[in-house]
Amino acid sequence: MRNRFVIAIALMAVLIFSLVVIAQNRGGQGAQNNAAAPARDTRPFNAKNLAGIWSRNSNGYGGGGTCRDCGDRGFGNNVPPFTPLGQKMFDANKPSYGRALGSDDAKAHPEEHIGRRRAVPPANGTDLYQSCNPQGVPRALIYPDPVEFIVLPDRIIQNFEWTYSWRTIWTDGRQLPKEVDLARWWGYSVGRWDGETFVVDSIGHDDRTWVDHFGYPHSDQMHLQERYRRVSYDTLELNMWIEDPKVYVGRWNADVKRFKLLPKDAIKTPEGWTGILEDLCAPVEDVEQFNKNIRDPAGGVFHNK
Amino acid sequence: MSSVVKNRMLFIIAATVGIVVLALPIFAHHGTNISYDRSQAWTAKAVVTEFRYVNPHPQLYFDVTDAKGTVTHWGAELLPNPAQLIKNGWSKKRSTDALMPGTVITVTVAPSKAGGTVGLLLKAVDDKGEELVPGGGGGAPTPGP
Repeated sequence: MRNRFVIAIALMAVLIFSLVVIAQNRGGQGAQNNAAAPARDTRPFNAKNLAGIWSRNSNGYGGGGTCRDCGDRGFGNNVPPFTPLGQKMFDANKPSYGRALGSDDAKAHPEEHIGRRRAVPPANGTDLYQSCNPQGVPRALIYPDPVEFIVLPDRIIQNFEWTYSWRTIWTDGRQLPKEVDLARWWGYSVGRWDGETFVVDSIGHDDRTWVDHFGYPHSDQMHLQERYRRVSYDTLELNMWIEDPKVYVGRWNADVKRFKLLPKDAIKTPEGWTGILEDLCAPVEDVEQFNKNIRDPAGGVFHNK
Repeated sequence: MSSVVKNRMLFIIAATVGIVVLALPIFAHHGTNISYDRSQAWTAKAVVTEFRYVNPHPQLYFDVTDAKGTVTHWGAELLPNPAQLIKNGWSKKRSTDALMPGTVITVTVAPSKAGGTVGLLLKAVDDKGEELVPGGGGGAPTPGP
């Protein structure tokens, strides 16, 4: 009897440990890269076929947290030093993710970069995404909702469920533009195979997007490289770096991200319609109504009725 | 093993599993968690006045009547957006049918840190005990305003 009671206590301890790990991931803190690798799907696969719906979300789609083995929620913890302009841009950005600015929670984690300890209510923030503007990359790649890779002969399209946004990665052999006249929300991207690694280089990113939801800035000079490698039937690993001499001193290497392949019918409406959702933040009137009635008052910003 | 010990074990396991389930991480689309104080969550009977099944966050508007008969109008956002509600089996029709104006429900709300009558809907339960539009992470059943 005593042994059984001890087993129950041990089980509780394991579960509480799990709770702690989950809690550490809440809000984006806590790198998960040291988590034990899960059992991988052993079915045969084509390493050069990236088609399908991939997700870093433990729940598959529609919000939820990043799964334990999917990597840190932010771009990376090893933030390089800012240039003077980069510091100015960083200070101007006021994100709503991470530990609350000035909170005991934030003070208790001095080991984390300040970017993860300065969250303010959305009403007081400066995140354009709060008004449902495009996230751009790499931020959208870090978001927990699914992304569908649509593979065509001359391009790969990434269709991000949240905001239902398309990003085109050209694979027709073209080179990146020498000069970019007009920066784009999703940049200019070209992809190529390096062995079994799909390498994407992109430039010309609109500097109003953020590197990640913690408000790390980039300029229109950011060069992003993504390196995708399908390591099993259902696991896609992504390594990234950015170089942006206007903002950062040196290259910023991301913590590795992992995506899980969702079965085709994993995303399903109650009536049985499968496929990625049209999770579009529209019309703008709905956004304004939400901001006016809920979001802003919750941050202490009140509007006249 | 005696039934008392067995029941105690079952309680410990169930409670622990419950805690873990309630703590599943939710990544609010708009960083909404930061605006609310879960430690001040309250539970009360409410009468629905409006429900909006929209992005970026669905919203529930309702009236709460206190012991003196004073009616306070509240607005609360849901943590899950329509995509997550769909995943949880809560279509637009099911949700709006369950939260028609005039419906009496029990709500658990984390109020805004800034004060006022807005909050985060942690839980909504109908008169049959069914949790409606779930995904808010539950909430402590403490007395309401």
